[in-house]
Amino acid sequence: MKEMISPEAKKLAAERAARMKAVLELKEPDRVPFTGLGGDVVAAYAGINSYEYNFDFEKNRQAVLKWLTDFPCDTPRAGVGGLDNLTMSVAFVDFPDLANNFFMVNGPMNDILKMKFARFPGREVDEFSSQQFIGGCNMTSEEYDELIADPVKFSYEKILPRITGSLADLGSPTALAAMARLGMEKARQGAEMRKTMQAVAELGYPLGGGASFAFAPLDYIGDHLRDIPNVVLDLRKHPDKVKAAAESILEVLLKLTLQGKATGAATASFPLHLNEYLSPKLYKEFYWPTLKAYILRLADEGMKSRLFCEGWHDAHLDTMLELPVGWGTAAFDKTDVRKAKKVLQGHTCISGGIDVNVIMSSNPANIDEYIKELLGDMMPGGGFILGTNVGNLPRNTPIENIQAVYEAVEKYGQY
Amino acid sequence: MAEFLKIKQELIDAVSELDEEKVTELTETALRDGTEPLDILEAVNEGMLTVGRLYESKTYFIADLIMAGLIFKEVLGLEQMTELFHARNKNKIGKVVLGTVQGDLHDIGKDIFRGLMETNSFEVIDLGVDIPKEAFIRKVIEHKPDILGMSGVLTYTIDAMKDVVGALDEAGVRDQLKVIAGGNHLTRENCAYIGADAYANDAFDGVKICLEWVKEKKNQGEL
Repeated sequence: MKEMISPEAKKLAAERAARMKAVLELKEPDRVPFTGLGGDVVAAYAGINSYEYNFDFEKNRQAVLKWLTDFPCDTPRAGVGGLDNLTMSVAFVDFPDLANNFFMVNGPMNDILKMKFARFPGREVDEFSSQQFIGGCNMTSEEYDELIADPVKFSYEKILPRITGSLADLGSPTALAAMARLGMEKARQGAEMRKTMQAVAELGYPLGGGASFAFAPLDYIGDHLRDIPNVVLDLRKHPDKVKAAAESILEVLLKLTLQGKATGAATASFPLHLNEYLSPKLYKEFYWPTLKAYILRLADEGMKSRLFCEGWHDAHLDTMLELPVGWGTAAFDKTDVRKAKKVLQGHTCISGGIDVNVIMSSNPANIDEYIKELLGDMMPGGGFILGTNVGNLPRNTPIENIQAVYEAVEKYGQY
Repeated sequence: MAEFLKIKQELIDAVSELDEEKVTELTETALRDGTEPLDILEAVNEGMLTVGRLYESKTYFIADLIMAGLIFKEVLGLEQMTELFHARNKNKIGKVVLGTVQGDLHDIGKDIFRGLMETNSFEVIDLGVDIPKEAFIRKVIEHKPDILGMSGVLTYTIDAMKDVVGALDEAGVRDQLKVIAGGNHLTRENCAYIGADAYANDAFDGVKICLEWVKEKKNQGEL
């Protein structure tokens, strides 16, 4: 496979990998690494709808390649989209060859499993909409003891049947057929994905060293088991049980993340969710202890972490200083990266900075100025990755604004 | 009644400290002792105002607003309180039609907003999530609200919101109500694009704007 990649592409890939390595070591690279833009606009740019992008691997590949050719970046996003399906990975954690395969449910997998939390374009929502995770309450507060005693057994026996249409009756012909079909589908998708990654490598992108998934233990309870309003109630009514459950879940999630490392993942990527909801008091009492332990244990295993801090994270920035220097990356959504830099410079690599609203509603001249100022503030001292605050640019994002971002990064991104 | 004066401050504090069990216990005791439900409701509202202030000063966060909403719902769930709440429906300060726009299925922000609006004596007609513009228009014509609230979490919802405002125009009802868009991603620029009268990044701001509108309308003698 490697022989097909041109020397130019190999050189480009090595430069990109070196750039990312330097910022993770909190140094100044040759240029500011840029995670690029993406979202529903990638499908629109290729003239296809979100349904085709999510269900047709050939069309998806062509759309991704067209986008990455015209809008090159340092960390490409490729493949069809998916939604967190953590319960299934937890349920199958004792099967390392399978568990990580189930972490994301994409459109075709969802056709088989029929997850109750998932909505895909062209299926449960119209073909131009984004895929959506809608959550739900799948566990009662009386069941905490069972969860604490054995999160794996509980996730398999109790939660899985509640959240999937096809596995509602475990052991039934319907459930067994769904698992067999899922195996066939994953084999097909694996071949498609290898084809896509080969084509992406030919464009000069580094392969391997990707991210393993990771989840703050309390987010597993909030997003997949109790839902957010209920977990908020539990923090007050059953504080000891919530803490014990988070600790119990931590061990299972660690195992899953390290299984990802064993297959080549270099970093662990955490999408934080409840962070914005919690006051510093609740965050420090319930959310942070198990998240911190998780990151420290991964660091012991030689793995860096990446936290995507959804929403506002201002009130919790100082907690990151409890981690060792160079532990990983904090990517921000609503929190101003300049403010984060003041707290975290020389300690944590910072990622983000571009508000997608600016790309959606501004004009090329303003965008040029915006990127210039942002890079002027954020590049000095290194340890900064340029990216958007959230991943999704809508279908009708003006292409001239997208071009303006890439031109400005080219113009002002040199160290 | 004299008894209630003694526990009134305790009840206000219990609400502002989000001590759900204590609120329920104090409310039940007060009702048993023959306290007027209206007095209890006033104390609970006072506690809710403190919650709002603590949220504004960043002592409380969204989780605390959710908790406050649950406590309020629980108090209203007590039999005598429900009767009072329904009776007070006649004295609502304004009417709001509310929904998450088409293409988006998120409801947490919308639900927090609804809870806070109800606490502030608004009548809320909640249409749910993934609401097409036609349904918004139908309900606006049917209920003649003072305010239309559109919620959305996903970035692309600004187009669905713009479509709803356009449909209000077409139906000839745009000038009969105020329109507020709610969502974490909204900015002044995309609020102008949507054509809404205001936008709010969190439920609490949204309620403040709606209260201002009702006050203005009242001052103009329309209510």
